[in-house]
Amino acid sequence: MPIFNPDIEAMERNELLELQNERLQIVVNQAYSNVDFYRKKFDETGVNPDDIKSLEDLKKIPFTTRKDLMDNYPYGMFAVPLRDVVRLQFPLGIYGNPIVIGYTRQDLKIWRELVARIMAGIGITDHDILQVAFNYGLFLGAVRFNQAAELIGAAVVPTSIASAEVQLRIMQDFRSTVLISTPSFALHIMETMKRKKMDPRSLSLNIGLFGAEPWPERVRQVIEENFKIKAYDIYGVMELIEPGVAGECSARAGLHIFEDHFFAEVINPHTGQTLSAGQEGELVLTTLTTNAYPLLRYRTSDLTALHYEPCSCGRTMARMDRVLKRADKMISVRGINVFPEKIEEVLAGIDGVGPGYSLEVTEKQEMNDRLKVRVEASPEIFTIREERKTALQESVQLALRRAIGLRVEVEIGKIP
Amino acid sequence: MLKLKNIDAFFGKTQVLRHVTLHVEAGEIVSLIGANGSGKTTLLNVISGLHPSRNGSRVFLNVETRGMKPEKIVALGILQVPEAEKVFNPLTLLENLELGAYLRRPDRVKLAEEMEKVFQLFPILRERKDQPAGTLSGGERQMLALGKALMGQPKLLMLDEPSLGLAPTVVSEIFHIVRSLNDRGITILLVEQNAKEALRISHRTYVLDTGRIVLSGSGQELLNNDEVKRAFLGKDYRGKWER
Repeated sequence: MPIFNPDIEAMERNELLELQNERLQIVVNQAYSNVDFYRKKFDETGVNPDDIKSLEDLKKIPFTTRKDLMDNYPYGMFAVPLRDVVRLQFPLGIYGNPIVIGYTRQDLKIWRELVARIMAGIGITDHDILQVAFNYGLFLGAVRFNQAAELIGAAVVPTSIASAEVQLRIMQDFRSTVLISTPSFALHIMETMKRKKMDPRSLSLNIGLFGAEPWPERVRQVIEENFKIKAYDIYGVMELIEPGVAGECSARAGLHIFEDHFFAEVINPHTGQTLSAGQEGELVLTTLTTNAYPLLRYRTSDLTALHYEPCSCGRTMARMDRVLKRADKMISVRGINVFPEKIEEVLAGIDGVGPGYSLEVTEKQEMNDRLKVRVEASPEIFTIREERKTALQESVQLALRRAIGLRVEVEIGKIP
Repeated sequence: MLKLKNIDAFFGKTQVLRHVTLHVEAGEIVSLIGANGSGKTTLLNVISGLHPSRNGSRVFLNVETRGMKPEKIVALGILQVPEAEKVFNPLTLLENLELGAYLRRPDRVKLAEEMEKVFQLFPILRERKDQPAGTLSGGERQMLALGKALMGQPKLLMLDEPSLGLAPTVVSEIFHIVRSLNDRGITILLVEQNAKEALRISHRTYVLDTGRIVLSGSGQELLNNDEVKRAFLGKDYRGKWER
């Protein structure tokens, strides 16, 4: 398979490390002089930007967490004036203070290239028709597929949240060759296809690019067998760029991290100690080229392991294992991230329920499909009339749907 | 071709370069831009061995040049055209060019051939070849300085403010020449106040600020970078922070 930017993606490993070192020093200088948060953090911990002379020295810098991003909402983490920012993104479903991520024109240009690298790496060319069935409203990175496809010259059909029937019809009529969506939506389309007894060979589909939620190998197998396609994984981090931090290549031996733009470490989530290659732990990323929203040692909460041996595809960029687990309590339901903390926050705002609650996830095809929230109610609930109870249940459901963008089942009663 | 890693440099106790890390690939034009006193010239002087560096490494064509005498560095192929006093005013143009080849000591025939090449590049110098360099105009003097450097057959040519004090038409001619030298295979490291022109002709650029590298990117990227526009291209912004 072709490599989109061979000078970079297949560069000598030691040269790559030198490039990373050069860029790391620049980003540290920028963060220290332009972001109050980093200057304070450096000064408090006694780290001087001049101490960062090698990639090894990065360990001296404290981690950045999601809490830091929340505490500095809205613009405290920005390294450039707002005037330089051309996009502001606001991930949904985050609890506590929201966060807002800014991008300069250059940031967006890099992002677009990274998605294009992944597309090229799995064989997408200007002959392809890409059906993007991501929710463009909820998944803010979806539009990046359009722009990356333009860079490659492929055609995009943004079918977004059209029903599975419509997706299949378009797939057939437009002769889409690539399906890009969450794996759970791909499964849903697949089931509809089976129910309608459609022959997958009547479709032109041959590649699937899936991400935004964990999907085990077993799911990949099912999708590949039923659609008769090759399915690939794409990875992103909503606080940096999502999608586009890493992606699988044709060798499917892990996801290549774009190390010219991100420096990756894996740490023990409990001790913060850096782990060596091959050991599983929490992925920590440092942006090396981001202008607007540089993040130094950002804890992604995603669990993975890193591998540095050269890949058979010719790329020298490190590979990370597919992310199937998290270090925090976040769960992913049909591609939507749900933080239990967010649910607590919603329940706290409603009279007569909580604080006790439990979550129950129903799986379909080994993927989280439905979320049920069981909420503890104050004792009076059992003395009120049934319709008022239903009304309460509905208001909880509505509030949760508004907050996390997902329809959840709500049950009011005792926690077992 | 050239790899600097964590270079520190001092004037007395004042640190003027802080762990500067950068690289120049063969065939590139790389420019360094930055305000007065940001350390650009010192960096060039460090590379050519005129100013001592502390710590770090300076590798040119896989040879560590730290601690080398300037003439040894010149012999490796690094030539610097300084900002001022770039030619010997009392000497004629011919003598200046001859001195440019001094370290290599080519024979007469070879020398004449090489000079011919310089004259082809700068016809104006041929017309004035017997005049003392002191009688030349600013632009001609810059051309002579470039010609003299070419006589040294550089692999890496370092130019310190080649456009300084020149009329706008001459400036664009000088930059045109710089680019044509690069087309002939000479790698160029350029220090410039004229950020716009420098960015236009450079493959890559580093921005120095009080001895630290604070930005890098392709010339085109930085031409569009708002921070660079504010600092070097005269675009005015009311305040740095507009929250």
